[in-house]
Amino acid sequence: MDTQLKRGLLDVCVLAAIQTEESYGYKIIKDMKPYVELSESTLYTILKRLETGKMLTVRTAEHGGRLRKYYRITTEGLRRIEEFKVEWKEIMAIYRFVTKGENGNDKA
Amino acid sequence: MTKLEFLLSLREALSGLPQDEVLERLNFYREMIEDRVEEGLSEEEAVAAVGSVDEIAAQIIEEISHTKQQAKPKKRLTAWEIVLLVLGSPVWLSLLIAVVAVLFSLYVSLWAIIVALWAVFASFIGCAFGGIAGGAGFALGGKPFTGLAMIGAGLMCAGLSIFAFFGCKAATKGAVLLVKMVARGIKKRLENRREVE
Repeated sequence: MDTQLKRGLLDVCVLAAIQTEESYGYKIIKDMKPYVELSESTLYTILKRLETGKMLTVRTAEHGGRLRKYYRITTEGLRRIEEFKVEWKEIMAIYRFVTKGENGNDKA
Repeated sequence: MTKLEFLLSLREALSGLPQDEVLERLNFYREMIEDRVEEGLSEEEAVAAVGSVDEIAAQIIEEISHTKQQAKPKKRLTAWEIVLLVLGSPVWLSLLIAVVAVLFSLYVSLWAIIVALWAVFASFIGCAFGGIAGGAGFALGGKPFTGLAMIGAGLMCAGLSIFAFFGCKAATKGAVLLVKMVARGIKKRLENRREVE
């Protein structure tokens, strides 16, 4: 997949993973695993980027005798998810147009 | 590989980079390994699952140098730079004035040439009229051959003035274009300086 496209999509994925409640690094990867593979280094970059874009906040808390970072979505982050849903409808329309006529798909 | 070995190995691979960034990433990976251990994996398995030190280090190095390039356009002047700038002003300021003066004189010269060309054109027209009028005068006043010669010369000037007109027009257009190109060139130079800094 186009890297730029993938990057934008993975950003939204991570946001969705922390949409309902705050989460932490490994849990995000686990939650996404049935749908998409995410490596640690990719996740790190995404989390940093989202933090810079004010789409999530970070807090460090103690857990089982060690420190763990928790990520929580912001209103800006939620907005981005909604934006993505709208964008996706456009992509779907384009997809229907591109595959129009293939395999008897005549629905424009 | 144990967690400690992994982290130390990774830190060593990243030894050339800004240590605050390295520390942040090491903590991140440490956390990832520990989370996996909590899930039930052994430390060895957890470390293996996170990835190889070489791969991760290569990725981090590429990323950091990437963002370093993008972070370049910071136009902040340190106090030291301001002091140097002020102290050196007699030198760079006078050089700047000299350069501007030269550019200005070139500009004026260019237009002086254009004006001169138009003056030539005007004089052709002048001669044309003068020749024809004067020639007519001579012809009617009893000196037909002189008159004819003058009219001939006048007509020739008229013809030349037509050429001169097109020539001047082209030269003027060229001059305007030249000035525009130079102006754009200077602007680009200045903009590039900003980006590089």
